[in-house]
Amino acid sequence: MAEAASVAAECLAGCRARGARSVLGQVVVPGEELLLPEQEDAEGPGGAGERPLSLNAGARSRVRVICGPGLRRCGDRLLVTKCGRLRHKEPGGGGGGVYWVDSQQKRYVPVKGDHVIGIVTAKSGDIFKVDVGGSEPASLSYLSFEGATKRNRPNVQVGDLIYGQFVVANKDMEPEMVCIDSCGRANGMGVIGQDGLLFKVTLGLIRKLLAPDCEIIQEVGKLYPLEIVFGMNGRIWVKAKTIQQTLILANILEACEHMTSDQRKQIFSRLAES
Amino acid sequence: MAGLELLSDQGYRVDGRRAGELRKIQARMGVFAQADGSAYIEQGNTKALAVVYGPHEIRGSRARALPDRALVNCQYSSATFSTGERKRRPHGDRKSCEMGLQLRQTFEAAILTQLHPRSQIDIYVQVLQADGGTYAACVNAATLAVLDAGIPMRDFVCACSAGFVDGTALADLSHVEEAAGGPQLALALLPASGQIALLEMDARLHEDHLERVLEAAAQAARDVHTLLDLVVRQHVREASILLGD
Repeated sequence: MAEAASVAAECLAGCRARGARSVLGQVVVPGEELLLPEQEDAEGPGGAGERPLSLNAGARSRVRVICGPGLRRCGDRLLVTKCGRLRHKEPGGGGGGVYWVDSQQKRYVPVKGDHVIGIVTAKSGDIFKVDVGGSEPASLSYLSFEGATKRNRPNVQVGDLIYGQFVVANKDMEPEMVCIDSCGRANGMGVIGQDGLLFKVTLGLIRKLLAPDCEIIQEVGKLYPLEIVFGMNGRIWVKAKTIQQTLILANILEACEHMTSDQRKQIFSRLAES
Repeated sequence: MAGLELLSDQGYRVDGRRAGELRKIQARMGVFAQADGSAYIEQGNTKALAVVYGPHEIRGSRARALPDRALVNCQYSSATFSTGERKRRPHGDRKSCEMGLQLRQTFEAAILTQLHPRSQIDIYVQVLQADGGTYAACVNAATLAVLDAGIPMRDFVCACSAGFVDGTALADLSHVEEAAGGPQLALALLPASGQIALLEMDARLHEDHLERVLEAAAQAARDVHTLLDLVVRQHVREASILLGD
């Protein structure tokens, strides 16, 4: 009952722009406009009424707010472009923080700095073409591996799995990835070894699994010894001692999305016994 | 035999609705596991299914790639069992092509295509049961599917059909009302800004009546928006509960 009333209130309120602060953690849909906190104060709650004269009317402090995924600037407001929950992160020092929409998606769009798992599809001259699940294959130079020189080329074949990060990823250019960090060290990146299983999940599940205090990963680690690589493009590579264990782990991770935590704990306890 | 009375004296239509009343709408998002986005909608007896893939690489000739926008490719298909008589409709026929073109125009107005240059977004719509208002059902299903795929849009696109009988504008026509031969208008609207994405009519209507019919269609589209809004919010809530929010 209470939920129906709040849902109805949400719909009616969607007609006019709402303050971003008041919608944090709630569902937003495309077409809504959000007011930033400084504008909300300036426009006043509930529209123009009596506002006391302020002596420093001209000196409004301008805070720099970052517009994250799912939001676009539209005039001096934020326009919601994806459906999901609105989130906010307080800034470390200065600025106004980041606003973004937590949405669920299966298709990956390359973002600079993301660590992804790619499949090498072609070798043309000095560049490998790597399929990362986006709208274009990414390019990877053979010199972007640790310890690679013109004489000492890395051993990469078509069909290999690569774990790397994007250095160039925007809508106008072809994405480029590398397998070294800024210091020149591999840091876990490079060609992923033999065997193991690669499978695809949704992007929301990957973000949840990579959250700092995720219980799923801790429980999975207690089950069998395993090696696991998470790509932000929705791909997971997993390897355990036997093929059966690998398949069990892959099925659990794929099913995690549709299970509540109680069901998950049941399944884990059943597996631990057998 | 007297002709079918589309609007009775008390103001009731053939199926018992009032002039501006919509049929019952039920919709679900995320019905296909393999597609990036999918949705199913039932508007009265009209049932439509929409599936979205993208943004992905341009399929076919590279020359079709647009340097500053994504290419939106829509295909409409009608099942053989969708109408009263079983009728095989080949894929490239005129009605499918025209519907595909109209859907493309509608969604190019709403999807933020500048965010994905040189890529392609595919929208496939299939009508499983056609009882009038097929264009509207396709647009509504495709909107939900595009939202499910996470493709950025500037607003919902809500569509409804409208007709004109005995001086009254009717909203959301069923097959019986469409077959009666009166003027019918299809309208696709972006509700938040009130902008029209597509307006289509190929019958004769006196311009004095156009205002009323347009207003009836616009109000019906806004009502559809209220319902689709609820569906989307419910879907996001369920998804985030499972992901442990």
